[in-house]
Amino acid sequence: MKLLLKEIVLVLAIVSAAVAQQSDYAVKKDFEDRYRTLAGRIDSATTIQELDSLKGAIVTLENDFAAHQAFLDKALYPTTLAESVAKLRSHEVLTYDRVYLIRTQGIRMSELEERIALITSRLDSLTTQRDQLFGELQENRKSLNALRDAVKRLSANLQAKDRLVFALADSIFLPYGKDLSQLADVHKEAVAQRIEKANVVTRVYEIAADNVRFLDLTKLQGKDFGNLIDQEQSFKSHWSGLKDNMVAVTATTGMLPASQPAKAASAKGAATKGTGRVEKDARADASQQAAHVDSVLAEWQTKLNTTFWSTLQKEFTDAGIGVAPFSDGPSFSASIRTYVATLKANNQDPVPFTDSVWRDKIDKDWREALSKDNMLGKVEYASLDKLVSELNRETVDLKLILYIVGALVLAFIVWFFVFRPKKKTPEPEPQE
Amino acid sequence: MNHTRRFILTCAAAVLVSSCSTLKLDRVDFGWPVESAVTVNNANIFEDVRYSVTGGVSALAMEEFQDSTALKGANLRLIRSSEGYYFVTGPRFKHVYVFSPGKASLSLTSAIAVSETGLKNPAFNQRAPFVELVDGEGFHRLLSSDDIVEVKK
Repeated sequence: MKLLLKEIVLVLAIVSAAVAQQSDYAVKKDFEDRYRTLAGRIDSATTIQELDSLKGAIVTLENDFAAHQAFLDKALYPTTLAESVAKLRSHEVLTYDRVYLIRTQGIRMSELEERIALITSRLDSLTTQRDQLFGELQENRKSLNALRDAVKRLSANLQAKDRLVFALADSIFLPYGKDLSQLADVHKEAVAQRIEKANVVTRVYEIAADNVRFLDLTKLQGKDFGNLIDQEQSFKSHWSGLKDNMVAVTATTGMLPASQPAKAASAKGAATKGTGRVEKDARADASQQAAHVDSVLAEWQTKLNTTFWSTLQKEFTDAGIGVAPFSDGPSFSASIRTYVATLKANNQDPVPFTDSVWRDKIDKDWREALSKDNMLGKVEYASLDKLVSELNRETVDLKLILYIVGALVLAFIVWFFVFRPKKKTPEPEPQE
Repeated sequence: MNHTRRFILTCAAAVLVSSCSTLKLDRVDFGWPVESAVTVNNANIFEDVRYSVTGGVSALAMEEFQDSTALKGANLRLIRSSEGYYFVTGPRFKHVYVFSPGKASLSLTSAIAVSETGLKNPAFNQRAPFVELVDGEGFHRLLSSDDIVEVKK
């Protein structure tokens, strides 16, 4: 036992002598060098195993310099040995999270980056195509067929852009799961940077503004609206999700796409001929940027509604049907009900209304759009359709009765003159 | 009368002496926890960033190497002791120079001879109230502001 103690004392004496011989400056430099090397290795780590071994290396570093703690706490001012090691540990944990995320989801960041680049490039080419189509739309206003073709192609272009921009956003958020508020700041910052790099907000804004412009320039028909309403609703829903995600990632990092409000403002200016002035604050917060998109979305919805109801009203006016003016689902419904009641009350011929307008135009071209929940709704449309059908049926029934009565009279006449048994005249008795 | 005059003179002298004395703070520790390794630039000036100290070394080069430009590009070791003295040395130096600070200057307090052949890769450690000089394996000196206090091997 005594021998063991002596050996320990001897070893300690040698170690302390060795330590005493070392330059404090060298100790500090050695610590800083090893710290830097470890931080660099953590940065470049790509596997969980690698990071596990680096975790051990951090413990070794801490142990190796524990004897110099008092000195290093002064020498490393304004930080301390404990703070430096804690910082290194935190760095390792964050990197571990990132690597774990990439490994478990089986998605490589480079692949995602490629996908984002591809989508971005396709979006850019669609934007060029859109400009040409808007030009064609202006040129082809006189030729109905050419105009319809341009409208169809432009509408397809806008829908393709719509799909791509949200696919782009999905690609950015995909690796980070659903609950973005739980993400570490470093990941939030990475997402925010990607959003900025891909100009997501500007692109979303442009699409909404293009749709407003499209509605301004185009003469639409009833069957066009179903698709447009769906597109607007889907866009709004996608944007709502994207906005929540963006706020979640930008709320704590303060990483905000500086250039985007200005770009969005110029896009709005181009789209609405300078009607909207957006403040020049380049570092507006995420909710401000979202508000710019929200405002153009509201404009889109209003424009779509106005165009829809005014085009529908025109169908009646052109056919000479004097329904009361309407501007939304309830007023349309009230207008039709009033008109049907008037027809009934005045015993007017309902055929021009029921056949020429309702059956040939409304039910054929407008039913799909009118049945949308945010327009009239399926139930209300079915109710109106039944009301109008009954009006027609009443007419049909009356005619049928008339026909039947006529047929009966005719049959009676025929029977009366042809088949009626003649009265037997009494035969004169033979005279004897 | 004589007593009274003597008393008055004594009191006046006491007041005079007390009014001339300056305010002094005690238990001041000037020591740097770690030395600075500084490089002399082409203008013969060294600059320490951490402690914000700069100074010309032409006179030091002249004193040690008899050549005022000998320290251009050289690496110097600099530390301030707990007492407030600046210790300076470097590779090929045979002395450690101890300076006390003055008005925009450092005045030599002592030049301590530490090596006959010149130091190889010296380093200072703060060992209050002394400064430790090490130079590779087996070279270890504990220095005060004017002498070697202890030699260890």
